[in-house]
Amino acid sequence: MGSIIILNGSPRAPKSNSKRYAGIFSDNCKCNTEYFNISKTNHYELCGKLGNFTDMLFVFPLYADGIPVTLLNFLKTLEQNPPENKPVVSILINCGFLEYKQNDVAVSMMKLFCKQNGYRFGSVLKIGSGEAILDTPFKLLVVRKIKKFADSISLSRYCTLQTTMPISPKMFVKASTTYWTNYGKRNGITKEQMETMQIEK
Amino acid sequence: MFKTKLILSDRPLNINIKSDDIKFINLSSLKIANCIGCYGCWTKTPGKCVIRDDAVKIYPDIAKSDKLLYISRIKYGGYDTIMKTMLERAIPVQQAFIRLVAGETHHVQREVAPKNATIIAYGEISDEEKEIFRKLVARNAHNMNFESYQIIFTTELQLEETVASEVEKWEASLS
Ligand SMILES: Cc1cc2nc3c(=O)[nH]c(=O)nc-3n(C[C@H](O)[C@H](O)[C@H](O)COP(=O)(O)O)c2cc1C
Repeated sequence: MGSIIILNGSPRAPKSNSKRYAGIFSDNCKCNTEYFNISKTNHYELCGKLGNFTDMLFVFPLYADGIPVTLLNFLKTLEQNPPENKPVVSILINCGFLEYKQNDVAVSMMKLFCKQNGYRFGSVLKIGSGEAILDTPFKLLVVRKIKKFADSISLSRYCTLQTTMPISPKMFVKASTTYWTNYGKRNGITKEQMETMQIEK
Repeated sequence: MFKTKLILSDRPLNINIKSDDIKFINLSSLKIANCIGCYGCWTKTPGKCVIRDDAVKIYPDIAKSDKLLYISRIKYGGYDTIMKTMLERAIPVQQAFIRLVAGETHHVQREVAPKNATIIAYGEISDEEKEIFRKLVARNAHNMNFESYQIIFTTELQLEETVASEVEKWEASLS
C-alpha cells in the first residue's frame, strides 16, 4: 500500500476549510498520510520530502477563478526542485460558489503543471459551496465523497468526483446571505454596513 | 461615477503614453502582499482591505476603470504571480453577498464600472495553455464586471510593440 503526502495550498492554511477537508481525508484513508501546510518559507523542505511518497494530494481553494498564489509559488519552486521519484498528483479543490464546475479551470492548470513536469495525474474531487458546507447537514455528502476519493487514491483507481449542496441557486443565494450576515454580526458589523457600495472611502 | 482608463502591467515597459486620461501602473515596482483570505474586506471593514500596503491604491482604480488593460506573463495557463497577487487582493470591490449571473452564483459588485477589458498575455505560451487562459478570462469576466473583453497572446520580445499598438488605439478613440 502506498503513502500520501497532503499539501495544503490555502493562504490561510492553519485555519482553512482545506485543512478540515484534509482531516476528513486522513480519517477515511486506508493508507498512511502526512499533512503539511504550504508556507512562504517551507518550499524546499517540502520538495525534499516528496520523493518518499507514492501519492501527493494538493488541497486548496479556488481563488479568482484559478489556483491561489500560495500554491502557484510552491509549484514554481517544485518545478526547479523536483524529487527523483515523482508521486502521482491528486487534487481536492473547494470553491465558495455553489457550482463545483467553477473549479474546472484551476483543475486544468494543475493538469498542465503535471504534464509539463512529468507527474502522473491521479484523482480529482471538486467541491462547490465549500466555504459553508461543512457546517450544514450536507457535511454527510462531503464525508461520503471524500471517502470514495481516498479509496480511489489508495487503490490507484484514479477518478474525478464532485459534490455540492443539493439546493437550487436561488436557495443558495438565500442561505449564503444568512451565512455572511451572521459572519458580519460576529464582528459587530450590520448587513447594511456590509452592503456599502463604497471602496476605500 | 468618475471613470478612468487603466493599464496594469506586471513589468516596466518602455512605452510612450501621450494621453493624460490613461493611467499606467507597473505592479512590479509596488509592495503588494498576498491575500490571506481573512474576509475582513467583507465582514470587518467593508470595502477596505485590512492589509494596508500598495494594493489599497490599486483596486479603487480597477473599480473606476471602464477601459482596462492587463499585461501579464502566463504560467500554467493562468496569470503569473505578480498579476495574480493583485487580482486576489481586489476582492474588496465585491460584497460578501451573492447574486445570480446567467443562472450561476457570483458576488454582488460594489461601485464597479462595467469594463471593456483587454488582456495581453505574454511568454512562451502553448496552444493548450492558451485554451486554459481563454477559459480563465471567460470566468473572470463574470466576477470582474467585464462587459466585453479581448485576449492578445504575444511573446516577451514583441510585448512592447503589442502594448504600444493597443495604447495607440485607445488614444485614437479618446481624441
Ligand atoms: C481572494 C479570494 C478569491 C476567491 N475567489 C473565488 C472564486 O473565484 N470562486 C469561488 O467560488 N470562490 C472564491 N473564493 C472563495 C474560497 O474559495 C472559499 O471561501 C473557500 O472555502 C476557501 O477555502 P480555504 O478556507 O481552504 O482557504 C475566493 C476567496 C478569496 C479570499
